[in-house]
Amino acid sequence: MAGSGTAQLRESDKMVLRVENLVMEFPAGIHQVVHAVSDISFDVQRGETLGIVGESGCGKSTTARAIVQLPKPTSGTVLLDPGTDAEIELTAKEGEELRAIRPRIQMIFQDPISSLNPRRRVRDIVAEGLSIWREEYPDVDVEAQVDEVLTAVGLDPEVAASRRPHQFSGGQCQRISIARALALNPEILICDEPVSALDVSVQAQIINILEEMKERYGLTLIFISHDLSVVRNVSDRVVVMYLGKVCEVGDSNTLFSEPAHPYTRVLLASAPEPSAVVDESESAIGDELPSPMDPPSGCRFRTRCPRTTGLCASEEPVMAKVGLDHFVACHFPGSP
Amino acid sequence: MDDLFGMEAARGWESDEQFGSIVIRRLGPGFWLAAAWIVFIVTAAALAPWLPIADPNETGVGGRMEAPGWSNWFGTDNNGRDMFARTIWGARVSLVVGFMSILLGIFVGGTLGMISGYFRGMVDRVISFVVFVLLAYPGLVLALLIVGLAGQTLPIVATTLGILAIAPIARLSRATTLAYAEREFVAASRVLGATDQRIMVHELLPNVLIPMGALTLLGMAITIVAEGGLAFLGLSVEEGFSWGKMIVLGSAPRTLREGPWVAMFPIGAMFVTVLSLNYAGDRLREYFDVREIGIGQS
Amino acid sequence: MCAKSGLGKADMAAPLLSVSNLHVGFATEKGLVRAVDGVSFDLTEGQTLGIVGESGSGKSVTAKTLMNLLPSYARVGGSITFDGRDVRAMATEGERHFWGVEMTMVFQDPMTSLNPVKRIGEQIAESLRVHLKRTRSEAKDEAGDLLQQVGVPEPRKRLRQYPHELSGGLRQRVVIAMSLACSPRLLIADEPTTALDVTVQKHILDLLDELREERGMTMILITHDLGVVRGRADQIMVMYAGRTMEQADTATLFSQMRHPYTEALLETIPRIDMASHTRLIPIPGMPPELVDVPDGCLFSQRCRSCSDSCLTDQPPLEVCGPMHVCACHTPVGTEAGAAARAANREAGVTPAGLDMGTFTAVEESA
Repeated sequence: MAGSGTAQLRESDKMVLRVENLVMEFPAGIHQVVHAVSDISFDVQRGETLGIVGESGCGKSTTARAIVQLPKPTSGTVLLDPGTDAEIELTAKEGEELRAIRPRIQMIFQDPISSLNPRRRVRDIVAEGLSIWREEYPDVDVEAQVDEVLTAVGLDPEVAASRRPHQFSGGQCQRISIARALALNPEILICDEPVSALDVSVQAQIINILEEMKERYGLTLIFISHDLSVVRNVSDRVVVMYLGKVCEVGDSNTLFSEPAHPYTRVLLASAPEPSAVVDESESAIGDELPSPMDPPSGCRFRTRCPRTTGLCASEEPVMAKVGLDHFVACHFPGSP
Repeated sequence: MDDLFGMEAARGWESDEQFGSIVIRRLGPGFWLAAAWIVFIVTAAALAPWLPIADPNETGVGGRMEAPGWSNWFGTDNNGRDMFARTIWGARVSLVVGFMSILLGIFVGGTLGMISGYFRGMVDRVISFVVFVLLAYPGLVLALLIVGLAGQTLPIVATTLGILAIAPIARLSRATTLAYAEREFVAASRVLGATDQRIMVHELLPNVLIPMGALTLLGMAITIVAEGGLAFLGLSVEEGFSWGKMIVLGSAPRTLREGPWVAMFPIGAMFVTVLSLNYAGDRLREYFDVREIGIGQS
Repeated sequence: MCAKSGLGKADMAAPLLSVSNLHVGFATEKGLVRAVDGVSFDLTEGQTLGIVGESGSGKSVTAKTLMNLLPSYARVGGSITFDGRDVRAMATEGERHFWGVEMTMVFQDPMTSLNPVKRIGEQIAESLRVHLKRTRSEAKDEAGDLLQQVGVPEPRKRLRQYPHELSGGLRQRVVIAMSLACSPRLLIADEPTTALDVTVQKHILDLLDELREERGMTMILITHDLGVVRGRADQIMVMYAGRTMEQADTATLFSQMRHPYTEALLETIPRIDMASHTRLIPIPGMPPELVDVPDGCLFSQRCRSCSDSCLTDQPPLEVCGPMHVCACHTPVGTEAGAAARAANREAGVTPAGLDMGTFTAVEESA
């Protein structure tokens, strides 16, 4: 795959975020560039959960950071409320203007320990957003708001608020991170591998909390993970990425029951308990990920793809519709 | 049936020193001893004018070159001045120079390092270059230059030593800042909409300040010795005297032969003070490092 | 407490590895951490034992105890016998040609086993020269062969490379080659694929399986993921908070699981073929601290089937079927288990004070 194109974008005023032709490149040494994200596009509908799945180096976390402009993408646009009167082009905003929009998109991170400042108390950590924007929200009772979000994520404010992060377990730290993000009442919550660092017995707690919070606060979620089962479970729509490109986009159940891109099929066949919709033998591909500094021509997956032909090397596949809300960037999609 | 983990055994194990424990989160008696000395010498120096001790500049308090005894605890020098009083008064200049210079070093160096480590890019390159130049430039020559041109007053000597401390402190502060700026809580703060200034003050400073605090003591030990070095070159404060200046006076060949105590007591005071500062600083640093490791371990 | 699981005892052949009532404690300032609290198992030559547990379950400490890798302040009790030899005695005697030769280990992060400033070839050759007294050139040839066996492409070229020049998957293959150098009889793999991408993970697990079969090796596969051991282990031991909760051969464990913790682990993890937004049954709370361990079952605070006796009496590991042991007063699939769960549902709260509402909401929607 791994192709470009914008066929997967939906025409609707219900979209809350649109990422168009996003490119993120980082300089690496002299005359070298890391092509972390190369021309990807997707959109997110209000109230939906978009899952982004892929292995390390596919650019999923870079994409998440690019949405919140940390750092600003090399090119491409990120639009809030696209196609409406209130449309805001995040990529065009700088400084104070950008800062003013920040509360609308919040983020939680993979490492629950690193996400919280070890020297601050939980109350201060959760209240940080409100204290930054104190002048904008003069009527908000900070204390009450902090208590409310802490309770919402299942922590007792009486006990938790005065402690420091190191007194909590990983799962609890992740709850605190969620509370901090929710305190500002965001519209979009980006979760970058929120359960990957947690014990299996705690993962479901956090997933369930995210689902509850989504309902309670009317959130739109962007959920990033390398774990296919988790992504399928939480998402309404899924984007599969490989080496900085989008392979396949579609409704979660459709994509996982009728995977059309060879890479998606490899992922499903490689899972510890492989999916029944693919044959286990489909997991047989090379281990070597090409360098993002010198990605393959044409389709970036061709060096490991079982279906590759000369066409894949010479021409990059473009996103094409293969089903109702199911798009794939491959010259030879479908089951083998 | 196996009582290996029965309470009896558990109690026995805990008291078994041989196996020690994973985390020693105590400062230990050595630290308190060192701290006690520091408190003592600082208090004595601060209260020197009001202490019932001889006037350090008054000659003929005892005889010339009198050995330590009941009337003059530390003996007298070749002008018959009381060495005990002089050692305490000498602490005033030494400690003030040491403290002021490290304060300046930490304030300027720490700030530069934080700015450099947080903003990266061009700012970092410029500051890092200046720091490299400062590090490469021979410290002694710089000190000679400044003191020689600007004069040998206490503020100038302290400033000179402070300038010498800036570069190494800036490097440490930059490295610490870099490590923390990568942490996700900084990204989280930016996503919340915090300004750079707020992130530096609220998120980074508390984390950078802790290692810096321990460094204050270690750095002070170095600057006190450095002041002694300047004194040896005749470049320390003109007015008054420090331990360094006293050592210089005491180490003239004849004085050293006739009355080794004249040099010995300021040397001893400086040695114990520097040792205490180093030890206390080191213990503090370890203490806080361990706290850091404790994070995440429920 | 019941000392011996009895598992594998019926076997005709003597087990290759026999661990009996293993205890490992660490003295910390908070008190004694009971990392492993009475673990016993037998492992027949040529078999694979899967040890499943979360962080803090004691699975890695068990492996490190076997490998004599514990820090000096660890306290160890119990016995470990390998092919009739007393492993703990060998450790005190300073035996050098046992670990790394007959028993070896593969770690989660390949970089912990690799020296970053030494060429791959030298690192593999080293153990051949130390343990098997090979000459330099013999060792080099063998190192090349080993890399070939673990599926490293262009093995001769790799010998001259440094670890940082390889991808994570290749590094783990190199580590496996290193651990195979002296033809070990027992290979312990501690989360060998957790740090790797999913596509690579499967290849490494398949490789370990093939090598085990080819060489008639015995293997202990340690993981947090039941799915990883499901198709690969002959026996599975489920650990929680330093204790064995349940042990059985793989088919039995999945078809007739007895322990509520095993059941909860399976229900809490989403499966790939589950439809989106299937509500997961959470395991409330978190694993207990291993200092000042309370009486009773350590899972009782999070358990749906908790009964009064679970809070006071530690359930012994009891045989509950052929090749199947379980430490539970109210096992799943038994009358006692069903009764305890029904009573808790009735009361709305377990004897440990856990609100049953967290479960019922999900169970009903399912």
